[in-house]
Amino acid sequence: MNESTQLASLLLVGVNHTTAPLEVRERLAIPPARLADATRSLATQPGIREALILSTCNRVELLTVTDPPPDGNPAAGLDFVQFLNNYLDIPASDIQPHLYTLREREAVRHLFRVASSLDSMVVGEPQILGQVKESWNIAREVGAIRSTETISSTLDPLLQRAFSVAKRVRTETQIGSSSVSIASVAAELARKIFGSLSSKTILLVGAGKMSDLAAKHLIQQGATTLLVSNRTESRAEAIADALRTPTITTGVIPFAQLHEQTHRADIIITSTGLAAMGQAQIFGPEHARALVHRRKNRPVFFIDIAVPRDVDPAVNDIEGCFVYDIDDLQQVTQENRILRGREAEAAETIVEFEADRYGERLIQTPTTEAIKQLQLSAETLREQELARTAQRLAGLSAPLTPEQQSAINDLTRSLTAKLLHPQIAALRSRGETDDPEKR
Amino acid sequence: MTLLWLRVAVLLYGIAALAVLPAALYNRPRWRHVAMPCALAAVFFHFVSLTEMLYAAHRALPVDTHETLSMLGLLLGAAFLLLAVKYHTVSFGIFLLPVAALLTLVPAFHPGHETIDYPLIHTGWLMLHVALLLAAYAALLISLIASALYLIQERRLKQKRAVPRRTWLPPLETTDQIALKSLLFGLPCMTAGLLIGSVVALQTIGPTFFADPKVLLSLAMWMVYILMIFIRRHSGLRGRRAVYLSGFVFLIVLAVWAANQLSVVHRFKAP
Repeated sequence: MNESTQLASLLLVGVNHTTAPLEVRERLAIPPARLADATRSLATQPGIREALILSTCNRVELLTVTDPPPDGNPAAGLDFVQFLNNYLDIPASDIQPHLYTLREREAVRHLFRVASSLDSMVVGEPQILGQVKESWNIAREVGAIRSTETISSTLDPLLQRAFSVAKRVRTETQIGSSSVSIASVAAELARKIFGSLSSKTILLVGAGKMSDLAAKHLIQQGATTLLVSNRTESRAEAIADALRTPTITTGVIPFAQLHEQTHRADIIITSTGLAAMGQAQIFGPEHARALVHRRKNRPVFFIDIAVPRDVDPAVNDIEGCFVYDIDDLQQVTQENRILRGREAEAAETIVEFEADRYGERLIQTPTTEAIKQLQLSAETLREQELARTAQRLAGLSAPLTPEQQSAINDLTRSLTAKLLHPQIAALRSRGETDDPEKR
Repeated sequence: MTLLWLRVAVLLYGIAALAVLPAALYNRPRWRHVAMPCALAAVFFHFVSLTEMLYAAHRALPVDTHETLSMLGLLLGAAFLLLAVKYHTVSFGIFLLPVAALLTLVPAFHPGHETIDYPLIHTGWLMLHVALLLAAYAALLISLIASALYLIQERRLKQKRAVPRRTWLPPLETTDQIALKSLLFGLPCMTAGLLIGSVVALQTIGPTFFADPKVLLSLAMWMVYILMIFIRRHSGLRGRRAVYLSGFVFLIVLAVWAANQLSVVHRFKAP
């Protein structure tokens, strides 16, 4: 029998945004509050040595180290569909068509891709690495992953390797260096103009979901003052109230006084769409010139989300004025996606290389694990014999001194190590002969 | 040994100037870890070399052309380090490090043998005069580079192209701050440097020093310098016009430098 079939195997089972529709993913998603319990439950299934569950809005994956199947058939063993069925009460027929199963090197490669955000819906998004780390922490806390110090832990070093691969991908490629959502592109552009956004003032002209989102994003990036102007003043006040926090100062500018007070803002987000009602655009070149003059040529950034546009495109030609309308933002987003795609190719090469390296390590694992098992058995025997001897010696009139106990302990440990040495050396030598790289 | 340290500094400036290209232009942070230590070591060896050079010549100021070039190179190298630490940008190294390397190259490989015969060069006042004016020139060069970077970044943003998060161009406000702060730093250096020089020249040469072409050009440069700061402070001059104005002042600086050939006051060589 091949030695590797006698050892634990790495198995990854799951669904993600490419294999399962949202309705299925919604039903399979394990809420954060239940993740620890689910991981514990998976780890206590027969045949599972170690387990980790990764559950995000785009994927649910079970990563396990399983005992070798008794008949050597890798298809046998724990039925994960059954586990999901039992735990989440979802019929197996609803899960089965969307499930993928990956083993050994392919499981390693997939984990590295996931951690590096190459398997994400938005390639390069940074959240996934944090989510994998969170799952790893939970699995360690509930004892589903043994710590590296413990004999024969497979998942702990694998996860740590996945984190360093993800870090390498981030450092050596620009996969996460460009924003791919409208709101984040707007914030990124603002940073290119103003550097830090702290102490910057945002003016929100009009109301809309997208403009609210952009304003919130800019506030998250450090903007501290928000002014709101709307034709309906009560609506402006409501928006200002909703966005006010202890660190954010908000204020309302009456719509009639908009042009007199615009110079107070560094970033102007407009979404009124007044031009659709036959009215003139809110900001034309004349307004912009006056604005820049009042600001002593300090730059001003217009984010025009309205359709039709609120800001005349000619304003962009005025020195110190930067105008991005919704099409411009979308175009930048699109270009950034293409940029990420190019970087993803470089990242895939890194992941393949690292997966191959880790694969080699998996090949060597049989020898390492056999040595660890041998040491473990010998240590167990030694401790049993020591305990038996201690019982026999307990009947003596003069009990052993701590020094004598320590000497006996050292003697047995030394004897065990010397007796095991030839076997361990032979195993290592055999492992090297079996290693295709060293042959 | 002096020349050896200077040659080591040139080599390190060269490596730093090359390493800063991928670090800044291709967003490769690993190259930053090469550029920064090399630049730091270059400045250190440059300083050691210059100090040894002046000590050996038994004077405290750079007087001949090579020493002056070397000191200006040292100031630019130090300015690069300062900007990199304070503003977290190595972009200025694209321009400053090659200039520092070139300014040091000639003194390192073709050292001059000018014989200086001028008693006042051993005084601290003249040293201060030269050092302050060189610092003002370095500040002006940095301001010019910052204004040019502002212009490039402004054009990029107006063209509405993709914006990688890590880019070699600092944000507009940062470059503007650097440009203005360099000018504000340079003004007192230039004013004090010119004043000290004038007092020393008045005592040694008399009022005729004022007719020297270099002195006249220096005064013109000082007035344009003040005008530039005034315009920047009051109208917030940025972008294209700021580059033109900085460029104009820089041309005057070059003219002042070149005027050494016509100057009587600034000739220290033995006949």
